[in-house]
Amino acid sequence: MSRYLMNRFISYVDDDGGRVVEFHTDPAGYVERWRARASAARVPPPDGGALTNAEAQAFVDRDYGSLYAMGVHPYLLLHFARALDVVLDGTSWSEFVARYRAQVEPHGFPDFRT
Amino acid sequence: MAQLVAIAGVPHNPLLYRVTRNGIPEDIQATMHHFEHFGGRMRDLDVDSMVIVGSDHFRRFKHDHSPAFAIGALDHYETTYENEIRHFGFDEWSVPGDAEMARALLGDHELPEDVDFAMVNEWVLDHSFSMPALFLRPEWDIPVVPIHTNTNMPPLPRAARFAALGAYLREAINAAPVERKVALVTTGHLATDIGGPKGFLGGPSADAAFDSEAVGWMARGDLAGAVAGCTVERLVAAGNVTPQFMNFLAGLAAADGLPANVAEGTPSRFAAAPFFFWEVDE
Repeated sequence: MSRYLMNRFISYVDDDGGRVVEFHTDPAGYVERWRARASAARVPPPDGGALTNAEAQAFVDRDYGSLYAMGVHPYLLLHFARALDVVLDGTSWSEFVARYRAQVEPHGFPDFRT
Repeated sequence: MAQLVAIAGVPHNPLLYRVTRNGIPEDIQATMHHFEHFGGRMRDLDVDSMVIVGSDHFRRFKHDHSPAFAIGALDHYETTYENEIRHFGFDEWSVPGDAEMARALLGDHELPEDVDFAMVNEWVLDHSFSMPALFLRPEWDIPVVPIHTNTNMPPLPRAARFAALGAYLREAINAAPVERKVALVTTGHLATDIGGPKGFLGGPSADAAFDSEAVGWMARGDLAGAVAGCTVERLVAAGNVTPQFMNFLAGLAAADGLPANVAEGTPSRFAAAPFFFWEVDE
């Protein structure tokens, strides 16, 4: 797992409302473009990275439980999820909270060291 | 010479901004009362410089790097990141920086013995710094010295390092060759979980036993107990961002381990809000 790159991916997207909309519109395409730029990625700030297939799929599926279990920092994950589900999908806060919590709860406190 | 006249420990919960825009809801009134009280005492004491010890939340210092301790040396700061506007409904603010004090704290040619600071010359402040500054001094007219601590991205500095930071700040502020009355403002959390299974409890603490113990350290002036009690394992078990509590150890150490005049975990719809206050007699 590349926790570092998963966190950087979320930071890159959620740092900019335009990027959040781009990701929301076409998650698979957005993730693929991110991965394709891996060889050209510069630090800082990286605009691409070699996510594994499982990590990329979890982003494409907006599978917050898996991302949480893989060690994405919960603070970043929550805000990323909120930007997509509440702001762009229009999910109510209470429904979002119930769903998000059910996804992360089984995983307890994963190691989020990078 | 500068003089440390007050030490505060306050929350920086960004959600307080939005919920207090159109009047203060009943459950938030005690929280805002503490901010007003501390801010009022700082006015009474003629505070004209605020050294703020907080932890940037992945905005200035991301996963590519985060110094254990860093001092901003600017004479002007912009606050607010684009996603803080989206997530928290923030406005954009700016605040003067006390560059002279920052340089005094950094040392001239050599870093101080006990704390290895990184120097920061480019820094937009996030809500760790903007919320205490706003709620303690809504006019944004007191220059600040932000000090970032890495309490979010393990490995973290140990609790004893925060105590060393506070002891150093007390000494260095009082030795600074500038005319200032300084408030040391520390900001962090009691038991708080953001984005994890203990989050979203809607008021009750993520770990009431930790909160009680932590407030007790401040109320009794038990620095040794606080340092011993703040292992990263214990803090994370109380909630994934609870390590930010260690910023308050800097305040307690700067107060020379004296009991706080005010020590409280204030309940509201959010996690208990930490409020600690010391007036410093020199």
